[in-house]
Amino acid sequence: MQRCNRARNLKERLAPLRAVAALAFVVLSSARVPAQTRPAHFTDEIGRPVDVRAEVRRIVSLAPNLTEIVFAMGEGDRLVGDTTFCDYPAEATQKTHVGGPINPSLEQIAALAPDLILATKAINRRETVDALAHLGLPVYVTDPHSVEDMVSSIEHIGRILHAETSAAPLAKELRARLSELDRVLAGVAPRRVFFVVWTMPLISVGRGTFIADALRRAGARSVVEAASDWPPVSLEQVVLLEPEFLVFASAHAAETRQEIEDLRAQPGWRDLDALRRGNAIVLSDAINRPAPRLVDAIAQLARALHPEVFATRGGPSGDVARAAEEVCPCAP
Amino acid sequence: MRPLTLRRLGWTCAALALVLLACVVLALKLGAVPISVTDLVWNLARVAIGQSDQLPTDYRLIVFELRLPRILLGILVGAALAVAGASFQALLRNPLADPFVLGVSSGAAVGAIVALIAAPRAVLVTPLGAFLGAMATIAAVYFLGRREGQLDSATLLLGGVICASFLSAIIWFLMTTLAGRDLRGMPFWMMGDLSTPLPAGLRWIFTAGLLAGIGAIYTTAADLNLLLTGEREAIHLGVDVTRVKLVVYVSASLLTALAVSASGAIGYVGLLVPHAIRWLFGSDYRLLIPASALGGAIAIVLADTLARTVVAPTELPVGAMTAIAGAPLFIYLLRRRMQ
Repeated sequence: MQRCNRARNLKERLAPLRAVAALAFVVLSSARVPAQTRPAHFTDEIGRPVDVRAEVRRIVSLAPNLTEIVFAMGEGDRLVGDTTFCDYPAEATQKTHVGGPINPSLEQIAALAPDLILATKAINRRETVDALAHLGLPVYVTDPHSVEDMVSSIEHIGRILHAETSAAPLAKELRARLSELDRVLAGVAPRRVFFVVWTMPLISVGRGTFIADALRRAGARSVVEAASDWPPVSLEQVVLLEPEFLVFASAHAAETRQEIEDLRAQPGWRDLDALRRGNAIVLSDAINRPAPRLVDAIAQLARALHPEVFATRGGPSGDVARAAEEVCPCAP
Repeated sequence: MRPLTLRRLGWTCAALALVLLACVVLALKLGAVPISVTDLVWNLARVAIGQSDQLPTDYRLIVFELRLPRILLGILVGAALAVAGASFQALLRNPLADPFVLGVSSGAAVGAIVALIAAPRAVLVTPLGAFLGAMATIAAVYFLGRREGQLDSATLLLGGVICASFLSAIIWFLMTTLAGRDLRGMPFWMMGDLSTPLPAGLRWIFTAGLLAGIGAIYTTAADLNLLLTGEREAIHLGVDVTRVKLVVYVSASLLTALAVSASGAIGYVGLLVPHAIRWLFGSDYRLLIPASALGGAIAIVLADTLARTVVAPTELPVGAMTAIAGAPLFIYLLRRRMQ
């Protein structure tokens, strides 16, 4: 008991000394370690904690939309690796590929010594994210469920990269273009559309996806109201729902138009009013990617669905008009 | 066939272990990221003399934290599948029996998926579910394969094939109705894939379960030799057939369940490896079991090395490699048996 007290006394007497030592240690170590190498703490969009070195020099992107975001922020030279699916912009195809988004090579990623890996919940596997985190590599996972979420992702990534100066104007510009679209489409009755993710099997979008939100921003409403994100839909159901327009997304518009021509001859499909009237729209595949070009695709769709509104309510900014030129609803 | 001596057993296993070691070195060298043999040997030596902290970071990550654990997992899974295959072949007295062909792997996969849905974050529940699924399936196949109190070879195989396709349909049903959940990795997993490492807490349990399973089967090796000549003959020679069957049945299901819960349903290893070993070293189970364990390990390590490198940096599931090599060999065996 006495010894215990003595020990505590000693501890108390030494306390100020220890405080000084601790302070000295903190001062010395912070002097030795430059401020920008100390890690910064973030929470990613699915709630995982991520510690990222303050100066991010080497980024690996595991999804095409994230690659597009990094390039759109003007930070493409910091990207050291991306996936075989990353085809936009053209420079993205020149980067070292780490494999496909679903089954990338973990060792190829590790070999690139990234100080930030970008992943997205809808495309990458949780197993991949966990395995990379287990190796001590920082993985930031985005999870956009709306167009606004996509713009926020840009700001989040900008903050991690210390690239707010390029991320903020980009986000501002995208928001401005979106509200300009909102202004033009104000009070316009939404078109009832069926968005085709895949035809074999037939898959559409659920209400919680960024695509469903993108449709809303373009003055459209998905006829499918599923809770799951990528619901399989039966063709019968589509016939019953009577969509006014079918919306396809494709990187190769000419091929897709040919496919639509083929569908038009098939039972079920040929009974769709939308197809009979030639109301099939082939959008750029940017609609499938939560990245800045999504706004171009929204404008493109809005133009195709509501040409009369754009004719009367004045021209939106140049790129919207440019995007609209690529649209050519199928001839009946 | 020469009689089995301890000496022959030792030499055969040592030779196979050497081949396995060579395969491991090859697997450590090959991959999406090129690594030279000299660098590899140099760094392995560093680790061997306890200077692992002096390794370059990317070597540490690629060779010791990615390739090596994956190779070790492959060795465990390969050994489990090959021994399970050899055991099922004796238990069902059918040389074409194998956990994959008999639907046991699919049963384990259904069990694992149901467990995953019921308790997504509990680590031990998945192997447990896989174990119960494997047990239930092999029991079902065993009863399907009986005709007039005897196991009928063709009925048994057909029963297994039908069970496997029924269970695959159940898996698809579960995956479609649960589309909202994150089951995107599932198809990969159904094909058999080693890219996901075992959770750290499971590694020792997994290894212990595996050694226990192989060990239990090995204690019945002499009885299995007699059982292969016929059940009645074995009983006359004093074999406790019920006990032997129970031990082999539980242990082989455990081995299959462990393999499936770690890596999904990898096919054909359990079928072809014991055949290759029989062809090379004879069919005495006292040699066949340890040699199959080593042979299975060699087969999976080689197959997974191919899976990692053929279309690098994208990875193929290892089950695709074993099926590409295994299916034609299975047909060959089937045809040779018919003649």
